[in-house]
Amino acid sequence: MAQPNLTRGPRAARGGWLRLNQRQSEGLFGYILLAPIVVCLATLVVYPFFFAIYISFTNRMIGGQAEYIGLGNYLYLMRQPDFVASVRNTVVLVFFVQLIKLVLGLGIATLLNQPIRFRQFWRGLILLPWAMPAFVAFITWKLLLVPQGGAFNFILIELGLVNTHVEFLSSKALAMPSVITASVWRGFPFWVISFLAAMQTVPKELYEAAVLDGANAWARFRNVTLPSIRHIVLVVILVSTIWTTNSFEAVFLMTGGGPSNATLTFPVLAYYSLQSLQIGEAAAVSVALLPVFAVLALIIAVLLQREN
Amino acid sequence: MLHRTTTSQKILYYTLLVLLALAILFPIYYMIMISLKLPKDIYRTPSLLPVNTTLKNYLDLFEKRDFFINIRNSLIVAAAATFVSVLFSSMAAYSLVRLRYLYRNWIGRLILFTYLTPSALLFIPLSVIIARLDLSNTLHGLVFIYLTFAAPLSTWLLMGYFKGIPVELEEQARVDGGTRFQAFYRILLPLSAPGMIAVSVFTFTAAWNEFLFALIFITSPKLQTVPVAISYLITGDVFRWGLIMAGAVSSAVPVMILYYLAQRFVVQGLAAGAVKG
Repeated sequence: MAQPNLTRGPRAARGGWLRLNQRQSEGLFGYILLAPIVVCLATLVVYPFFFAIYISFTNRMIGGQAEYIGLGNYLYLMRQPDFVASVRNTVVLVFFVQLIKLVLGLGIATLLNQPIRFRQFWRGLILLPWAMPAFVAFITWKLLLVPQGGAFNFILIELGLVNTHVEFLSSKALAMPSVITASVWRGFPFWVISFLAAMQTVPKELYEAAVLDGANAWARFRNVTLPSIRHIVLVVILVSTIWTTNSFEAVFLMTGGGPSNATLTFPVLAYYSLQSLQIGEAAAVSVALLPVFAVLALIIAVLLQREN
Repeated sequence: MLHRTTTSQKILYYTLLVLLALAILFPIYYMIMISLKLPKDIYRTPSLLPVNTTLKNYLDLFEKRDFFINIRNSLIVAAAATFVSVLFSSMAAYSLVRLRYLYRNWIGRLILFTYLTPSALLFIPLSVIIARLDLSNTLHGLVFIYLTFAAPLSTWLLMGYFKGIPVELEEQARVDGGTRFQAFYRILLPLSAPGMIAVSVFTFTAAWNEFLFALIFITSPKLQTVPVAISYLITGDVFRWGLIMAGAVSSAVPVMILYYLAQRFVVQGLAAGAVKG
């Protein structure tokens, strides 16, 4: 679809090095349009990505010279209780947050897909935690959970359920469940809305047929709803798992990783390592994430391919 | 679903919905309530209902703490990031959807991949690169960094929108003598306006809310964005919850309104991108 005078006329034939046929001019234009974003992403994502892998093998400090030290940072990390704790905590946090959001997401989406009044209103209400900035959500949850001035302790004490303040954020047993709860509260709307949108595209005839076959509600959900929305469920799990694994605000703002590493996760540990100016170590912490994401992406890719 | 809903089912549905509404609204209510409470009342007379409602926290925040400067910084960064990101990604999305050339699908996949790259992996090498480019502690440095998450997703979403617009309209315009640029500018852009709005709102909101990069790269108080300024209120020995919540409410309200105005498009876009991508 390029300019006809460029491609066919005799002038084009004499055009020297700029003599382009239709396909070439289309390609050139395509690359020109792509150039800004490719340059940006190459500088700010692709290069840093490989650079992170490289500096994780050095003993670089901010402003200092880098020396190759092989697996030194990784060997050092494996012996660090901080690092071991952060691996365990990240797995625990992501697993429970995702599991609860999956169950809640499917349940609430099914509920909203029933013939209820004011569906748009309920849908809008559910979006509230998601529409609010993450840092606001987690600061608010910290406020709810603190002993002095926090709502939950006030309610528990007023109801006579406890005698002294419950240390939701500074006791080893409760800190992680508190962070999980807040993360679920902030994250579940995305799952509900995505699942609901998918459920509404399921043809009504399928449910009619299932009802005629005598399928009960659970059977209809398992055999009609779930297979029809499987694709969206997988995409949401993938995207959300990456978000949750990366989530810095929840832990940093609510507990700072404490008490004594009980909630320390990968991104927060990487942040602290950077603050202590050990870039090589910090990079090793975050590069250690890579295999996790690679496996994750691979699983999802295989599942999606089987789907097709 | 098709069979008639019984009364007991209805009661169950609405009970669950009301419980859900409580779980969602209570934290938001408490946040607003605390922001309207005097600091001494927060500790001395804890309550679930407002006591001595006052705007003092908001006045302190804006008058004594110059919160306007933080809001201005956030506005500059979010607006600039949105403009640059939408410009670059609409060009890229047009190219990837409408033009045919070597490695096209490969480049498209790479852009999607950059979106999935963990920011926790990026911030360490970026701190070195940004220092080398002399962009640390600047607002435009932050704008560049925000392109890392805004541009790939915007491209992905806009590709979904552009695919949904019949190519025949542009072909017609070109047969009528228009250039490719005119077809893009006069036909495709206006027709995909809802998509452009959604992508702009998404980018603006994400940049406005961003915390980690702003915390790392901005060191001088005068350049702090809203989330960083508020987080610094927490780090003191005394938690000034009234002040903190006044800041939280002031920063959440504008983007939440924006989000609601555009959420229809955003969710549609995500779904379209997810299915078509």
